[in-house]
Amino acid sequence: MELSDIVNILECKSHTGRELLRRDVQYCYAADMMSDVLKSCKIGSLLITGLINKQVTQVAEIMDLKGIIFASGKLPAQDVIEEANEKNLPLLTTEKPLFEACGILYTLGLRGKEICEKADDGTGDSLQ
Amino acid sequence: MEREILYNKSFNIMGRDFANAGSVSVKIKNILKEIKIKPEIVYRVSICCYEAEMNEVMYAEIANLNFTISGDEAVITIEDKGPGIENVELAMKEGYSTATQEMREMGFGAGLGLPNIKNNSDEFKIESKISEGTKLYIKINLI
Repeated sequence: MELSDIVNILECKSHTGRELLRRDVQYCYAADMMSDVLKSCKIGSLLITGLINKQVTQVAEIMDLKGIIFASGKLPAQDVIEEANEKNLPLLTTEKPLFEACGILYTLGLRGKEICEKADDGTGDSLQ
Repeated sequence: MEREILYNKSFNIMGRDFANAGSVSVKIKNILKEIKIKPEIVYRVSICCYEAEMNEVMYAEIANLNFTISGDEAVITIEDKGPGIENVELAMKEGYSTATQEMREMGFGAGLGLPNIKNNSDEFKIESKISEGTKLYIKINLI
């Protein structure tokens, strides 16, 4: 699914370049704790979170995340948006609460690490 | 037999420097990517580095992170001046955390930092002295 589809479905506002919305997303992860992301998130996932500080963009770089959705109407500070733009990291915000955002994307076929790894060859995604 | 050192760099990490927190790990990740280390290994090293770096920013006064690639292994050693860890065994348990409310609001304190390092490394050692500091040794095989 393209990020632009997700923008429409979750009625997101995009805070980064339009061209980044053409990215294809297959896997999602949701957490507010960054160590959870480092432990259990599949490389190259889309992260849905309520944490809006700069650490999210750092973790995104470590895990090559495809993008970030800040749920529940939370808005990141300007410096976080600037950093995401520098790193070509799509930043989206939605008014939908975290649970609803995850549920909607799940029903549309996006999956997390546990399910997708069963069908995976285990080599992981290549580095961007 | 002594292994030939192919790369070595030292980084200082300042406690409470949240503005730069994570930047050392991103640098190390980019070095490994550049020398075409397997992606899976790059992620393991980067995750170890990031967790260690964030621990230092949150708890230590100052820390030095040394990153070495020699032969077919990467070694990260981190030595800090800080409060030390009262109970290392507990700190290694998933879910145990001494993070303050402020740290939790920043997205830390899941109690997974040290376990994440252990799980992503091939060899992990930790030594800590109360009121003095903590030393970590992390080795990851590159092939």
